[in-house]
Amino acid sequence: MRHFRVLLLHELRCALLSGATWSVAALFLALMGAVHWFAVLECSRAPTPWTPTEGTFRLFWVPLLFILPLLTMRTFAEERRSGTLAALLTTPASATSVVWAKFLSTWTVWALLWAAFTAFPGLTEHRLGTPGDARLADPVALWGGLAFVLTSGLMHVAVGVLCSCITRNPALAALLTFIALLTLTAAGGAIDSLPIESWEWMGWLRDPADHLRTFGHLQDFASGVIDSRPLVLYATGTLLCLGLSVLALEGQES
Amino acid sequence: MFPDAEKSLAAVAAEGLTKRYGSLTAIEDLSFSVAPGEVVGFLGPNGAGKSTTLRILAGTMAATSGRASIWGASVALDPAAAKRRMAYMPENNPLPEDLRVEEYLTLRARLKDVEPANVKARVAKVMEDCDLARRASGRLIGHLSKGFRQRVGIADALLAEPKVVLLDEPTIGLDPHQILGIRDLIRSLRGRMAVLISSHILHEVEQVCDKVVIINRGRLVAQGRPADLRRELRPAASFTVVAREEAAAVLAAARSLDPAATAEDAGEEDGWRRTRLLLPASSPALESLASGLALAGLRLREASEDRFGLEEIFLAATRRSPGERRRP
Repeated sequence: MRHFRVLLLHELRCALLSGATWSVAALFLALMGAVHWFAVLECSRAPTPWTPTEGTFRLFWVPLLFILPLLTMRTFAEERRSGTLAALLTTPASATSVVWAKFLSTWTVWALLWAAFTAFPGLTEHRLGTPGDARLADPVALWGGLAFVLTSGLMHVAVGVLCSCITRNPALAALLTFIALLTLTAAGGAIDSLPIESWEWMGWLRDPADHLRTFGHLQDFASGVIDSRPLVLYATGTLLCLGLSVLALEGQES
Repeated sequence: MFPDAEKSLAAVAAEGLTKRYGSLTAIEDLSFSVAPGEVVGFLGPNGAGKSTTLRILAGTMAATSGRASIWGASVALDPAAAKRRMAYMPENNPLPEDLRVEEYLTLRARLKDVEPANVKARVAKVMEDCDLARRASGRLIGHLSKGFRQRVGIADALLAEPKVVLLDEPTIGLDPHQILGIRDLIRSLRGRMAVLISSHILHEVEQVCDKVVIINRGRLVAQGRPADLRRELRPAASFTVVAREEAAAVLAAARSLDPAATAEDAGEEDGWRRTRLLLPASSPALESLASGLALAGLRLREASEDRFGLEEIFLAATRRSPGERRRP
């Protein structure tokens, strides 16, 4: 536990002092600012069934696929390539504490980015809102959406950490993360789109596919519905990915 | 330096270590040990398997078979205990470029279980010992010269005062002044820590090591104290005799002392003949050769034993087949 704490503080410090993190943060905020601005414009043109904040969170997959891989790609791949990971593992710190420290620090940065994003709805409300009308900030959509991206983010960051753990090339790690997250995000919906005329023969696939519906989870969270099934999915997915990362790390030879 | 109970324990023990990569055998059936407080040179030509062996001992690589232990703790079965007793500096000494020296050493001290209250003092001590305190403590590691980076690696190895230090080519890329500094530092560890140094710079090893382990093509070919290996591997004692007489006369005189002596002419210099005289390594005449030749009537200017240093030991050991190796 002591090693984990030391490593976590070190990783957080390195992440917060790193120019790369700040560049990614700037990219994230520019991207989300633009997305939010377009959502506000869309809502101002014609009545929409969603608020600007809801509309912005519906596009959560944009930063997920294009920004998160940039954060996770360096966690292990970079250190494996430079050899500092092997040096780290010659200390009494266990592979488990190393994996968890890197995972939690990356997730914290991801959470901070989304926390910074919450300023946009607030600013929009402050500048453009009318007193008594909270639709521009929409606290339910905001806090629900935030709860969703942070909860699902646990598994998404763990996927990125695992991808970074199995290669020495950060660019390849980012690509693997992109593919894995795209598959995870699209999986539930994609099964429905398969050109299958009758589902009877594979009816067993329906229920698991339903659980994977990421956009359905977002909808639930954003409307204040806390379903335990996505929580279990994200918790088990996180633990599985981190467990595999520990195994990958312990099995590596340098 | 060590309690009696610990003296009987091998600080480093490799028993039948074998590492295979598919059909390629990097090391095979390698067994050797390092006693507490001993400084041992680990020698071998390039590609002999030195770094592979050190990685297995450090726990960053698994052996295909065999057992490696650090102060009694199996590296494979009890890695945490082995790591607490050992420090390892790999060959290329990878360091994070974006940390300052003091920050890095502080982090490593915390990870190596140095008591929190002692971290600052230990970091200051190793920086002082490795001559980092004044010139490099606040600098980014990425801006350091090769010599200072090596010092940072060694300082890191010494941080937690481990019982065993494994150094893979610690002086590679250093200038002569830096090599002297590192050599003195390693010498200062004798008796306090067991040190296993992989190197192909034989002179350096000869200067600092109590014992050498020589491997070739992944197999042990010799191990022991240089003096013992010299006796074992030296085929004959070689002397250079400078006298007025011809080689034949020198040989005749030498044969009066030991009939097995042989000689060859090595040239002439200002009227003095230089003769190379070979005597069996176990010849009783070795101890009093010069006086014996003088008593036989030779007009001697010089009679000196040719050096059979670590270089010759290394060449002799790596030439012989691994099957002939000396058992510990």
